[in-house]
Amino acid sequence: MYRLALNMLFGDRAKLAMLLCGLAFSALLMAQQSSVFFGIMSWTYTPMVNIRAQVWVSDPMVEQVNDAKPLRDTDLGRVRSVDGVAWAAPLHTSFVQARMQDGNFKLITLVGIDADTFAGAPAVLTQGRIEDLRLPDTVIVDEWGASLMGRMGVGPDGKPRNTPLKVGDTFEINDIQARIVGICKVRRAFTGGPFVYTTYDRAKGYTLGARRTLSFMLVEPQKGVTPAELCGRIERDTGLKAWTSDTVIWNWGERSLARNTFWWFWTNTGIPFSFGTAVLLGLFVGIAISGQTFYSFVLENLKYFAAIKAMGAGMGVIARMLFVQAFTAGLIGFGLGAGMAQAIGRVMIEKGMPPFVMFPQILWATFALVLGISFVSAVIGIIKVSRVDAASVFRG
Amino acid sequence: MSHLAHTVAVRATGVDMFFGTPENQVVALKQADFEARRGELIMLVGPSGCGKTTLLSVIAGTLTPQAGTVEVFGQRLDGLGQEALTSFRRKNLGFVFQSFNLIPTLTVIENVMVPLLIQGRPYDEARARSLAIIEKVGLKGREEGRPNALSGGQQQRVAIARALVHEPPLLICDEPTSALDKDTGAHIMQLVRDLSRSPERCVVVVTHDHRIFRFADRIAEMEDGRISRVVDDPKLLDTSHL
Repeated sequence: MYRLALNMLFGDRAKLAMLLCGLAFSALLMAQQSSVFFGIMSWTYTPMVNIRAQVWVSDPMVEQVNDAKPLRDTDLGRVRSVDGVAWAAPLHTSFVQARMQDGNFKLITLVGIDADTFAGAPAVLTQGRIEDLRLPDTVIVDEWGASLMGRMGVGPDGKPRNTPLKVGDTFEINDIQARIVGICKVRRAFTGGPFVYTTYDRAKGYTLGARRTLSFMLVEPQKGVTPAELCGRIERDTGLKAWTSDTVIWNWGERSLARNTFWWFWTNTGIPFSFGTAVLLGLFVGIAISGQTFYSFVLENLKYFAAIKAMGAGMGVIARMLFVQAFTAGLIGFGLGAGMAQAIGRVMIEKGMPPFVMFPQILWATFALVLGISFVSAVIGIIKVSRVDAASVFRG
Repeated sequence: MSHLAHTVAVRATGVDMFFGTPENQVVALKQADFEARRGELIMLVGPSGCGKTTLLSVIAGTLTPQAGTVEVFGQRLDGLGQEALTSFRRKNLGFVFQSFNLIPTLTVIENVMVPLLIQGRPYDEARARSLAIIEKVGLKGREEGRPNALSGGQQQRVAIARALVHEPPLLICDEPTSALDKDTGAHIMQLVRDLSRSPERCVVVVTHDHRIFRFADRIAEMEDGRISRVVDDPKLLDTSHL
C-alpha cells in the first residue's frame, strides 16, 4: 500500500509542488537563518581563531575575548614561572582609530604580538613577510581590512573604484605612522574593524597614555601537559584566569574562552532572539503551508480513503499511508531547502558576508523540525480520515 | 437455478437502524428482513429515502444496526467490533460504487490492485492477478492509463475489476449504472450478472434504474425502512414511483 500511497502523492503534481514549496521554504529559512546566526556568533570569538595559542591567560574578571581587562606586564613573568609552561608571550588587543591618507578615520582592531616569537601571528600572509614587522613603524593588515581601508577613486571607465591598501602604503594610528609590510588572511570579526598586526612594543606606542597594555598572555604547555591541566595550574598559582583555545562551543567540559564568548553574546545581546524569531517563523510557516496543503490533499482524497476503509483497510494502514506520504514530502522538501541554504551559503561565503556556518547539527535539527512538520501534517490528515465513516461511500 | 442458488448468502432479520438524537430521530430501517441467495443477483429498489443504502451499508458491515441480526455467508456481523468488521470486509466483500471512486492519481492497474494490497498480498502477485482480471473485464491495454482517460463505462469496468480481484463472495453494487448511458449500463450489468453465476458468490445491487431490472434474478422492493415485497419478475413491479 505504501507504494500506492507514494503514487497517490506523486500523481497530484500541483499539490505536491505546493507541499514541497512549503517544506523547502521552511527548511531553507530554518537552516539559512540558523547558519547565519551561528556564523555571526562565530565571529564573536574570531580573535581566538586568528590569534592561535593553546592557552590564553586573562584578568580574572574577563568574561569574553572582546572585553580585555589589561594586566600588569609583571604578570607575564608570573605565568612563565608556572610549572608546565613551555613559553608565554604578551598580546595586546584594542580598538583604535586609524587615520587614512585621505583624512578619513577607520576603527581598527590593533593586535600587538611578541616580536621575538611572533606568537599569535596570522597564519597566512598573501603579501610580505612576518619578519618585516621588526622594521620600524610597520604593520600587517588583513586582506578584507586592506580593502575596507582602501581609497575610493574613479576608475578608467568613470565608475567609482576602491583601491585596496597594499604593501608600502601608510596610515596613522594616534598620529604615529604605520607602514604596511604585509597583507594577511584572517577571519572577520563581530566588531567589524580590520585586524592590524604589529609588535607588542609598538602597539604600546600606538595606544598612547594607556597605563597597562597587556590584554592577554598566550601560553604554550610543555609536552605531556594538557591545556586544561595547565589552565588549572596557572589559575592556582597566579590567581589569573586561564582559558583553552577550543572553539567547539558545545564542548562543555573545556575552559574555552571561545565558548564563554559565544554564550556571553547569547545571553547579553538580542541576537539569539532575533534569529530565533526567524527560525520559529520558518517553523510556523512550514507548519501552516505544509499542514494546510497536506490537509487539502487529504480532503481531496477523502472519498478515496473512505472507499479504501470500506474495502477493509484499517486505520493503521491508512495512518501509515499518510505518514509515508508526509514523511516522503518532508524528506524531499528538506533536501531542496537544505540544498538551497547550502547554495546561498556558498555564495555568501564567496562574497565574504554575511557570515555563514552550517554545522551538521543545524542540518540535523532542521531535518528533525521538517519531519516534525510532516508529522503534524500527517496527524491532521489522520484525524480527518479517522472521522470519515466508511458507510459514507454509499452516499454518492 | 441450481440447488446451490437456494442456499442463503445474506440474511438480515428484524434490523432496526435509527439516526439522529432521540428527540429528533430518523428511522432508516424498521424491522427490516432481507435475504439473498448464493449464485444470484438481487436488486434492492425503492424510492429515495426508503432505506436501501442503509440496508446495503448494514449488509456490508460499514454500519452496525441498533437491533436485529445480520449474517453474511454464515458469519454473524451484529456484535462484531470495528476491527473484526474491517477484517470481514477485507476478505469477503467487493464494492462497486455509484461514482466509481477510482483514485485518479493511480493507474488503472494500481486501482485494481488496492484490495489485494489491503489484504497484504505481495506487490508482484497483486499486479499479476490484477492484469488477469483487467483482461477479463475487457480492458487489456489500458492498464497503465489513468482512470480519467477512460469513458464512464470503462471506469465502471475498472471498478468491477477492483471489486472482484480478490474474489470476494459478496459483491455490493451501489447504483452501478446511474452514471452510464443505457447501452453502457446494459453491458456493465451483463458483466455483473455473468460474474454472479457462481455458487460461491452473491451480488446485491441497489438501483433506481428500472432499465436494468431485467438483469436481476429477484428484486426486493423497499418502502419505509423495510422490504415490502420480493418479486422474481420485474414486470410485476410498479416502477412509477422509483
